[in-house]
Amino acid sequence: MKTNKPRELFPGALEMMILRTLRLQPQHGYALCQTIKRASDDLLQIEEGSLYPALQRLLKDGLVSAQWGVSATNRRIRIYKLMPKGAKHLEREVSSFERMLEGVTRVLSPVRS
Amino acid sequence: MNWINSFRKRRAVYEDLSEEIRDHLEEKTRELIESGVSPKEAAAQAKREFGNVALTEERGREIWRWSTLEDFLSDLRYGARGLRKNPGFTFVAVLTLALGIGANSAIFSLVNAVLLHSLPFSEPDRLVSLSEHNWYPQGGFAAMRTSLQTMDLAAYLDGQEFNLTGQGDAERLYGTQVSANFFSLLGVQPEQGRIFRRGEDEPGNDFKVILSHPLWQTKFGAASNVIGQRIMLGGVSREVVGVMPSGFHFGSSKTQVWMPFNLDPRAVDTYWGGSWVPVIGRLREGVSIARAQAEVEVFQHRLLRMFPWKQPETTWRAASVIPLQQQMIGDMRSKLLLLLGAIALVLLIACANVANLILARAATRQREMAVRATLGAGRWRICRQLLTESTLLGAAGAAIGLVFAYFGVSWLKSMLRADDIPRLAEASLDVRVLVFTAAIGILTGLLFGLAPALQLSKVDLTESLKTGSKNAVATSHRLRSGLAVIQIAMAVVLVTAAGLMVKSLWQLVHVDPGFRSESVLSARVSPNQAFCDNFERCQSFYNTLIDRVRALSGVRDAALVNALPLNGRVAFIASRFEGHPEQVGDQPEPILFDSVITPDYLSVMQIPLLEGRGFVESDTARDAEPVALITASTARKYWPGVDPIGKHVGPIWEKQWRRVVGVVADVHEDSLSSTLPSWITGAIYEPFSAHAVLINRRPALEMNVVVRGTNDPTSFAGTLRQVVAELNPEVPVTETETLGGVVSKSMSAPRSVMWLFTIFAGLAVVLGAVGVYGVISYSVAQRTSEIGVRMALGAGRRDILALIFGQGARIAILGVCVGLAGALALTKLMTTLLYGVAATDPATFVTVALLLTLIALGACYLPARRAMRMNPLVALRYE
Repeated sequence: MKTNKPRELFPGALEMMILRTLRLQPQHGYALCQTIKRASDDLLQIEEGSLYPALQRLLKDGLVSAQWGVSATNRRIRIYKLMPKGAKHLEREVSSFERMLEGVTRVLSPVRS
Repeated sequence: MNWINSFRKRRAVYEDLSEEIRDHLEEKTRELIESGVSPKEAAAQAKREFGNVALTEERGREIWRWSTLEDFLSDLRYGARGLRKNPGFTFVAVLTLALGIGANSAIFSLVNAVLLHSLPFSEPDRLVSLSEHNWYPQGGFAAMRTSLQTMDLAAYLDGQEFNLTGQGDAERLYGTQVSANFFSLLGVQPEQGRIFRRGEDEPGNDFKVILSHPLWQTKFGAASNVIGQRIMLGGVSREVVGVMPSGFHFGSSKTQVWMPFNLDPRAVDTYWGGSWVPVIGRLREGVSIARAQAEVEVFQHRLLRMFPWKQPETTWRAASVIPLQQQMIGDMRSKLLLLLGAIALVLLIACANVANLILARAATRQREMAVRATLGAGRWRICRQLLTESTLLGAAGAAIGLVFAYFGVSWLKSMLRADDIPRLAEASLDVRVLVFTAAIGILTGLLFGLAPALQLSKVDLTESLKTGSKNAVATSHRLRSGLAVIQIAMAVVLVTAAGLMVKSLWQLVHVDPGFRSESVLSARVSPNQAFCDNFERCQSFYNTLIDRVRALSGVRDAALVNALPLNGRVAFIASRFEGHPEQVGDQPEPILFDSVITPDYLSVMQIPLLEGRGFVESDTARDAEPVALITASTARKYWPGVDPIGKHVGPIWEKQWRRVVGVVADVHEDSLSSTLPSWITGAIYEPFSAHAVLINRRPALEMNVVVRGTNDPTSFAGTLRQVVAELNPEVPVTETETLGGVVSKSMSAPRSVMWLFTIFAGLAVVLGAVGVYGVISYSVAQRTSEIGVRMALGAGRRDILALIFGQGARIAILGVCVGLAGALALTKLMTTLLYGVAATDPATFVTVALLLTLIALGACYLPARRAMRMNPLVALRYE
């Protein structure tokens, strides 16, 4: 059985995207998944399942909270909400990610003279 | 109860997670159906895009739990279930391990008692010995005790024997003389009464005695009123001041009474020249051993000037101060570690066997592993599961091994002599041994589980799900053969070691001790010092005794000697030789073993007279000219190329020479491997007379009666005691033994080491053979269809036999070669244990190589026969 392991781009990337998405509005798992997929224009290969361990990690660290609620279609869903601690974490992560990205880009871009 | 709460909470978290994932899949499926996908396809696609559901759930849960422990517990349950389902495998594996671990724990308990336990004295770290090389005269000790600043000193002298009379039958007691501060320096408390007080080692105050616990029990009925009682020891009345507790054995395990020295500066001869004594010390607060040693070094030079005569500069070797424990352990350290190393090899062989068993079992478990892998278990996870199983086996082996160890320790204690191993009595299964056992149980579990675990977890899923791949079997076979090779190699090392010990002991047994021990009985007869202060009285007592013994029926001849060969007693004088300068520079004077004998001793012992004459009755008279016999090697050493007859030799403290009247062959006085103790330079004989004075300036007065009979000498034992009792009931008769027994006892240490090695080697060979058998018979089973094809194509039984034996021979020869190389490197460590055989003895090596090759091939016999007798038709249909 060949498992193509498309878990995440790098450790923490998926968590970052989840936090970012939740900052816009609280969502349940499935919606969260669809939002991320759409937002990335399907550029990122994300195995849907990998979302849940990531959510558990965020829950455990107190970056998000979860509550059972009812959806618009009247289904029982579990809604995740960004916690203040999560917002702070996201900020830090994004800025450090941007710095890294900038560094990588500079190295990769053609030499300007 | 926090963990229960968290456990309950966790359960809710898990349920939430599962529900959420279910919802996710449902929602997705529904959406897909709405977009026009067929319901069946929608469900499949939802699952596909989601990924492995079970694995996702597992990963999600993992985040919440302290996963290692819980995995471990579930592995443990799973492993235990697997082992219970396979009782045959479990039994063999656990038993093999239990044997190996038990033997290791038993030997370790010796190591623990001798090397690791600190001495049972207060603050043992500060106790030191000054006498690794140097003993000191009593006067020297007294001077050091008052002068040294770095430590407090005490002295003791073992091997003093005293007659206890007036308490039932006269009894010979083993005593240790000690300085008054001996007990307080060690920091030990008496069980009854008190220890010696300051000043009780001075003349007039010294008539005191302290009893050992066993003596107090047996001879005094453990009565508490024994304190203050006066007892007769060596004809002198002494006051019992204390009883030491049963665990106290110092300076010897044999000590029954402790008595103070009599440090008398006015008795110049004994004070400076009598028996020298070993000295121990307690470092004062904050003093290092190096500083103490430096002070002793300086003081030794001062001490030389204190002698009432000129003492040579080379009297002492450089001062050495070592921990007391190290002094007591002596050369046991290397011996015990060697034993521990050897038994560890046995355990390794056992591990290899169990690893082989697991590998064999692994073949049938490949499917199980594949299923687990499909269900999402990673390689490490499977490995951990397998390691947990093997650790479980190791732990079970350790638990049962403890039972073996318990019996092993008591067997070791009964087989080894307390004289050969200091602190043997302390060996037991204490906490440290338990921890050791548990640790090696777990370690061996990991060790023998590692190779199979790596092997087995490397599953190729599709292949093994289908059939169980041939490929995996092939690598597993290589691994198993490799293990068998290692087993044979280690067995070769152990058998070589045992072979060398056996050969060494054989050499010892065949050493000519210089006398004939057949039909000779010996017994120690020891009148009181006081009785023998009048030497004529003593001499006539002995002469009457010898006459009466000689008259007994069945007795051929009887004689007396002060120090029987090979029984550990040393009688000596410091001497000078005619023609040699009184003192050659700083050469210490020759120390001679001095056997004081009656004229018939040579004929009773059948010691050959090489030249001149032996002693005659008239040599023992008080007014006779003092004469001596000299041994051949001593004559060669001191008068090379000169006829020693008529030359003179004598003690340094006398002007009176002894004329040499004869030369006799050398006798092994010290041990079968050396004629004399290393510090003794030669040997002479003197007739039993008032002239024959030993190093304590006294005539010999305790003698061994040696009786040569016409047949079994033990039959005189009772009569001899009777004869002595009739002559003088206060004279105890002890150590009644045949001379053969004395010789045999002198070999007890090498013999017990040889037995241990032989047992280890036996275990190694059995385990090794089982290993080879396992590998070959497994391979025969694997190759059944191949063998069937070969037979169908016309291979004869002989070809099949050759095929199987060829495989066995490869393992055997490779194993033997590796083993011989290992043995060559390792047996060097036992050089000091060997006598008359080199550690690289070619004959032993060749024999062992042949023997083990044969055994390994023998182990192939059964599987080979099975292969040979296969019915080709059945074999072809196999699988």
